[in-house]
Amino acid sequence: MRHSAILKRQDRIATRSGARHEPGRQAQLRRLAVLYTAPVVLLLLVLIAYPLLRVVWECVRYVNLVNPTVRGFAGLDNFRTVLQDDDFLPALRNTMIWTALSVAGEYVLGLASALALARNVPGRGIFRALIIVPWVIPIVVAGLTWSWMLTPEYGILNHWLVQLGIIRQPIAWLGQPSTALFTVTLVNIWRSFPFYTISLLAALQAVPRELHEAAAVDGAGTLMRFRVITMPHIRTVSLTLILIHVIWTAINFDFIWVMTQGGPLDASETLPIMIYRYAMQQFDVGAACALASMMMGFMASIVFVQYYAARARRPA
Amino acid sequence: MIVAGRAEQRLHDRLTYIVLVALSLFCLFPFVWMLDTALKPIVEVQSLSPSLLIRHPTLASFRHVLLETEFGIYFRNSLIVAGTATLLAMIVSIFAAYVLSRWPRMTLTRAVGGALLLSQMIPGVLLLIPLYMLIRQMGLLSSYLGLVLVYCSFTIPLCSFMLKGFFDAIPRELEDAAELDGCSRTGIIRRILLPLSAPGLLAAAAFAFINAWNEFMFGYVLINDDAHRTLTPGIMLFRSAHVTDWGSLMAASVLAVVPVAGCFLYLQRYLIEGLAAGAVKG
Repeated sequence: MRHSAILKRQDRIATRSGARHEPGRQAQLRRLAVLYTAPVVLLLLVLIAYPLLRVVWECVRYVNLVNPTVRGFAGLDNFRTVLQDDDFLPALRNTMIWTALSVAGEYVLGLASALALARNVPGRGIFRALIIVPWVIPIVVAGLTWSWMLTPEYGILNHWLVQLGIIRQPIAWLGQPSTALFTVTLVNIWRSFPFYTISLLAALQAVPRELHEAAAVDGAGTLMRFRVITMPHIRTVSLTLILIHVIWTAINFDFIWVMTQGGPLDASETLPIMIYRYAMQQFDVGAACALASMMMGFMASIVFVQYYAARARRPA
Repeated sequence: MIVAGRAEQRLHDRLTYIVLVALSLFCLFPFVWMLDTALKPIVEVQSLSPSLLIRHPTLASFRHVLLETEFGIYFRNSLIVAGTATLLAMIVSIFAAYVLSRWPRMTLTRAVGGALLLSQMIPGVLLLIPLYMLIRQMGLLSSYLGLVLVYCSFTIPLCSFMLKGFFDAIPRELEDAAELDGCSRTGIIRRILLPLSAPGLLAAAAFAFINAWNEFMFGYVLINDDAHRTLTPGIMLFRSAHVTDWGSLMAASVLAVVPVAGCFLYLQRYLIEGLAAGAVKG
């Protein structure tokens, strides 16, 4: 027993150094790996892969959520339904505005806070904890609290803005078409920017101090050092962050649904809200899946382009 | 070494503090106002000149929410669903993370790792309809199990990547020694890996719990009866039922944040490492 164990160990040492492979042990490890990953694979197949295929499948079929007699091959009819929907272009525009403004605002706040937190000032641990807080609370709670602060009757923000003389009378920020989308965007920025803070902070802390010191000795000012040293170091993280958040923001359902339900008068309706409406209010599964696959295709192409661009940039 | 002149240094420090204080206030004020409103009597909530000062603090809103509404049921349901989803995800992820960490060069490992990563990139709303239909076919609409399964689709990738990071930090030599002594692989995981990475396990669990607790859309769509409804959609309904009763709504919000706040306090110092390891969908 003991002897064979020692032999095994020697085998492994040999295997590791690449000198010799023992097929029996390798096969055993592989079996173990299959066993260990089986539950994950099963769950991913059922909960991700199958639904994914089903989305693609249903988008060329007539399917109704409550009426099983509606069925059959639809060809491109579902896509036609979506593209000819009067709500489609406004929703697409809203999605673009919502995504672009959110991501831009989040990045600016995230970078500012990360730069401040990267400086070694007393109390930064506390500030760091405080700044992350919005990111961990439920979106519903964030939406509700901001809705309360923004009410025209008793809302504290309207009260302050009036007192400061910025607006003449309280505004129903979420209740009028011209401001609803921007207001939800602001709340989204509030909740999402801490993610950028943490990621950018990690990247900033990896910048060697010596670089800054050497540059300073050579007479480079703060802005110069930021441009030449800091920015190149956080470029990769920034690109990844922005890419991920473009996707996450464009498909976000919760914020808008919780705060305005796409209203008033569809002024804040985005594509995910449209998907929900097709499926859960009009029961038109085909159209919902057509829109979902279009979004998915668009997102996959962004990821692809980014991935290959990044690979092309990297020296081989 | 002195990077900048002393005056410039002081200017930078001042600027840093201005940014930090401003952002902290921006981040924190809604919570302060939430708590403030929850503790006010209704007359003060509906004041035309609102102020932070509470003249007659009261727990009436909390009492109303806890005793006279469905809130307690929602809260319990959320605990059950988020707790079970976390536990299930942890059990499944421990083994997956072990494979990811220890045998990274196997084809299987690469495939599973890639699939997990991909599954984090696929947005939930795009899978909403097929998942709804799947859960309906399984007869699991308005049940805990249906929601737990769906939540596993995002808690598992999250836990797997986080745990992989923690396992990576534990030297393999310990396992070799145990194997030499005849310990099985599962025994190694249970007796060596898990005890050594206990704080990490707790961090991953806390993070999965927060994500499951905060989830809104699936809870909203997959559950249609009050007996099983979870907190986040519950609050949404609550809102239509208490249109002007902002005191109660804020009391409910405060209570909904409490478990998350507890997890966050523990998680805080890990969050930075966990994020750096790229284990997060949020």
